[in-house]
Amino acid sequence: MAATPVVSIRGLWKSFTDTPVLKGVDLDVHRGEVVTIIGPSGSGKTTLLRCFTLLETSDGGGGTMDGVEVGYRDDGGERVPRSERELAPIRAETGMVFQMFYLFPHLTALQNVMLGLVKVRRMARAEAEEAAAAWLKRVGLADRMQHLPSQLSGGQQQRVGIARAVAMAPKVLLLDEITSSLDPSLVDEVLAVVRSLAEEGRTMILVTHEMAFARNVSDRIVRMAQGTIVADGAPGEVLDGVVPSPSGRGLG
Amino acid sequence: MSPGFAAMLDALPFLWRGLLVTLSVSALVVVLSLVAGAVLGLMRVYGPPVLQPAVQAFSDIVRGIPVLVLIFFVFYGLPVVGLQVNSFTSAVLALAIFSTAQVTELARGALQSIHHGQNEAAKAIGLTFGQRMASVILPQAARRFLPAWVNSVTDAVKGSALVSLIGVGDLMMAIQQVIGRTYQALPLYVLGGAIYFAINYGLSLLSRHCEQRLSYYQARE
Repeated sequence: MAATPVVSIRGLWKSFTDTPVLKGVDLDVHRGEVVTIIGPSGSGKTTLLRCFTLLETSDGGGGTMDGVEVGYRDDGGERVPRSERELAPIRAETGMVFQMFYLFPHLTALQNVMLGLVKVRRMARAEAEEAAAAWLKRVGLADRMQHLPSQLSGGQQQRVGIARAVAMAPKVLLLDEITSSLDPSLVDEVLAVVRSLAEEGRTMILVTHEMAFARNVSDRIVRMAQGTIVADGAPGEVLDGVVPSPSGRGLG
Repeated sequence: MSPGFAAMLDALPFLWRGLLVTLSVSALVVVLSLVAGAVLGLMRVYGPPVLQPAVQAFSDIVRGIPVLVLIFFVFYGLPVVGLQVNSFTSAVLALAIFSTAQVTELARGALQSIHHGQNEAAKAIGLTFGQRMASVILPQAARRFLPAWVNSVTDAVKGSALVSLIGVGDLMMAIQQVIGRTYQALPLYVLGGAIYFAINYGLSLLSRHCEQRLSYYQARE
């Protein structure tokens, strides 16, 4: 019997006003897999990640993480939407890194990484500080720990964003176009960090337009177009030719 | 010594008592309106959808009424509904209601000015609503709220001059009483203006100091 996927998305639908953005998307990601989602702007890549973590409310379908339904809980046989409080610990298991970083501007780099460790993981401050410092060193920011986000370059800010997410030891890292708002000269430093995380066998879903990087780092590439998955397979197969999605959805 | 200057000096002990009343009214109004306005501002942005229009209506209505009208409304209106309160309480209540409406709008604006990405990033690391408010949203909103709030505090201090019209013995009433005795109107209004200015300028300096202390936008090294 196949292992339960870390991330399993089934029949995800989402429309903004009357425009469908996701049209019943299915996606499984297994432990240790690096899956990259590619596709033109507006194809639903980011919305897929946001709906999975319920940063966006979907119109139908949903996801599970390690077999646990993200958006609903079982209440005596009845499916009940999870409250924000119930969602919080589930979201902590999905390390989301944003295109625009969204670092907390009033906190130093170290405090940005520590916040979740102290408040969510309930670590003692000294322990959290040690863990946060270790992650900042790992992403090459040992000398920037006490800097505020406004004192960091875009690439440095994004590396803090990655450290903040990965320090929480999430079950899956969701990286949403994390180099799209960076100066081209700063892209490589961020991708190097992602590559090193991928090499550790972390489960990751990347949304990116960096095709060469996607080919190099991914176990699988998923191509989306107009709200559906139109190809899903090995990087070479998807990037070099059309590979049908396992469900056959959205082809033709 | 000119008669005007002598009148100013002679009036100081009497004005001091009025000043204490002005400061008492202002302090009570500032504290009450800060607490009530912050709560209403939070309710306006994050409260139950059914309450949000009610808070907005309160704020819109009160801000649309001149503060003097509000003072008379409370002073003459409370006895009509059977609430007998003295002029000091009426004055504090009226000014606090007026100031609460201002603070509510300032709090709403400060909260809504925080980019939604901040809330999302805080959600993404698993913070609950309370944790997001305490650690992420409010510390940022407070920095944006502070300068505008100090303006509303100075408005409250200046607005307190109107309470003399319902018989509260504040600085303004003390000045008028001294003028009634000495007929030295201009020197005493100048002195009164200088006292109000000193209070409000002190508050403005304090605000600037706090803004600089709290600023998190610093030059990149």
